[in-house]
This record gives sequence, C-alpha cells and structure tokens, in this order.
Amino acid sequence: MASIKEIRTHIKSVEQTLKITNAMYLISSSNLRKARKQLNDVEPYFQKIETTISDILHHSPEIDHRFFDKRPEIPAEKRKVGYIVVTGDKGLAGAYNHNILKLAEHKLEKTPNASLFVVGQVGRSYFQEHGIPIDVEFLYTAQDPNIGRARDMSELMVELFLKESLDEVYILFTKMVNSFRMEPTVHKLLPLDPDVFPVCEDHSPYHQHVTYVPSVKAVMDRLVPGYVKGDIFGALVESYCSEQNARMTAMKSSSDNARAMLQNLNLSYNRARQAAITQEITEVVGGAQASM
Amino acid sequence: MADQSTFYLEIITPERQFYIGPAEALVFPAVDGEMGVYPGHEPVVTAIEPGELRYKANGQWEPAAVGSGFAEIKPDYVILLVGFAEHPEEIDRKRAEAAKARAEERLRQKQSIQEYYHSKAALARAMARLKAKR
Repeated sequence: MASIKEIRTHIKSVEQTLKITNAMYLISSSNLRKARKQLNDVEPYFQKIETTISDILHHSPEIDHRFFDKRPEIPAEKRKVGYIVVTGDKGLAGAYNHNILKLAEHKLEKTPNASLFVVGQVGRSYFQEHGIPIDVEFLYTAQDPNIGRARDMSELMVELFLKESLDEVYILFTKMVNSFRMEPTVHKLLPLDPDVFPVCEDHSPYHQHVTYVPSVKAVMDRLVPGYVKGDIFGALVESYCSEQNARMTAMKSSSDNARAMLQNLNLSYNRARQAAITQEITEVVGGAQASM
Repeated sequence: MADQSTFYLEIITPERQFYIGPAEALVFPAVDGEMGVYPGHEPVVTAIEPGELRYKANGQWEPAAVGSGFAEIKPDYVILLVGFAEHPEEIDRKRAEAAKARAEERLRQKQSIQEYYHSKAALARAMARLKAKR
C-alpha cells in the first residue's frame, strides 16, 4: 500500500486538476450559451440564403457567369483546390480538433494540388508540425466569430478564385447536429454548383421566368460574394458553438472522473491512516505488556 | 393567394430576423436606384445597395437602414437578405457620423484597391444609417 504522504500529494494534485477542469467547464458553458444564441440568430439567414440561391439556380438553368464556371478543361490532378479548415484556438476539447483535422488530412490525400487556409491555432500548429504547407498570411482566430472576419475571408477566397489561383474552394467545419452529436462537414463554396443544392420541393408557377434587374451578371456579382460571406460566417459560428460544446462535455467528464478518483483516494488515505494508528496502538500495548 | 392587398415580407440579417410578416408595399435601394414593390410584382432577383428602405405594414410606412444584400421577389412573397437592418431609433447618430468621417478620411489617403473598396463600403453603410435616421 502506498504511504500516507504519497496519497496526500496525489490527492492534492487531483484537487488542483479538478479546480482547473471545473473552471474550464464553467467558462465553456457560459461561452456556449452565448454561441448558441448567435447560432440561433444566424441560422435563419444561413438557411434562407441557401434556399434562395438554390431556388434561383434551379429556375434559371442557363446562367453563364464566372462564379458558375467549373473550369472543366482543367484535369482533376491539376485542379487547384482551396480548403478552409476551421479548428479551435485551444485544445482540451475532446475529439473536436482531432475529427476536423482527420477530415482535412483525408481530403488532402485525394487532392494533390491543395492549398490550406486554417482558422484557429490548433490547426495551424498541427499542420506546421506535420510539415504540411499552409497559407501563413491567413491569420484568423476561431474565437467570437463576427461578420467582418467572414467578409475578409470571403473577399480573399473570391479574389483567389477569380484570379484562377484556385479552381475550387471548400470549407471544412464542424456542424452541430444536436448537443451530443457534432459532425465534421465539407461544404463547397465556389464555384456554385446547382447539383450540390437540394432541389426545393415547391413547384409554384412563378419560378419559370425570373427577371434579373438590372442584369444577371450585375446581380450575381453581388449575390455570390454575399452568399460566400454568409456561408463562411455560418460555418464559423457553427464551429465555435461545436467547440464550446465539445469542451464543455470533455471538461464535465474529466471533472466527474477527478471527483470519483478523489473519493477513492480519500478512502485509501483514511484506511492507511487507520492502519498506522492501529499499528501504533499495538506497538504501545505490546511495549507496555513486555515491560510489565 | 386569397388576400391580394398584401404580400409576405421577410427581412433577414445574419444577426437577427428584422421583420417577418405581411406588408402592403416596399421601397428599397436597388443597384440602379430605388425600387418599389406592390403585391403581384413579377418574379425578380436583384441586388440591394446600402441605403434607406421603407415598407408599409398596417397602413403605416416604416423606415429602416439596410446594408448591401439581395432580394428575391415573387408575386406574393418578398425576401430580403441584407448585411444589416436597423430601425431609425436604433441608430446611433454620433457613431454613424464618426464612422462617416473616418471613412472619408481614409478615402483621402493613398490606399490599395482593396482598402479603397472597404472604405467606400464603410462610407455607404454610414450614409445609409444617417439617411434613415433623419
């Protein structure tokens, strides 16, 4: 059996850890509440923008525009693909970072000509450690997503796409299905592809002839960057919410583990103490009897 | 649609759902000038510039400042997806004026094309707020 002193130091260290994990649990749960609210606010916009675009795409089949250009003349192995990978700024969030990075690696294997744009410190250091080149200028934090950051990112992506530095742009983020299930997801940003949008079920008669004012090009020039911005913002918010949720769950289970461990340790501490006392009494009694 | 005197209007921003409900008329700043919508409008998709928007609900014209975005118009349904939308009473005049001054100041300085567009967009947003506030 371990000595009393050993058990006592062990208890102390577990107590310290418990304090940290418990504090992190509280912080992430309050952050989560904020992020949830933001997610609830942004979700209608996100969904509406998606359905509206899909509506427009499905009802005006012949749009000839640079954002819809899939560049079929470029063979698959030469296509330059950009991936925006949204990770957390900190670890200790369960499998959150691991899952999204695994997905990113999987995608990278399939595309020889990929460039990475990483959001969040964990992802950046991971790719640097593994010697995978990333865009070092692309420095955005995953904390507190705001629309300004999404705008900067979307402007960059649109610019690279139009300059033909990238032929396809995807965003990899963690979707929060519910509070127990988070899924790493890939979403195609550019070029717009009518096939990836779900066909909306309503067939009202108006859709057939949609007028674009003043012209298709002018509308699409504004609409598509707005769509990309909205999409990136939605992805950032969703990821942030997932991160906080993952951290909260992870910290809760580690706090619970620490408490269970403390209970066991206290038990063995008391047992050891009792054994020591009993032994001392036996010694005293034994000594007294011998001297009698 | 049984009721032809109104259409269903949705004004949605990333931060909130600004207005959802029936409206009798709508005037919004499109790319090439103001555009008015009444029920039974032909299906149109168009882009919105930062500026002042008015919609008529329950016989009352309600003004608001909006940012850039786009609109999808159908005979009985109009959806506006914009960067921001604010009621006049929510706009902080001082802040908007300060933002306008800042944007103008930046525009006077030498800057890259990108920065120029940013400053111009910021100026347009500030002007839209001030216009709706007046």
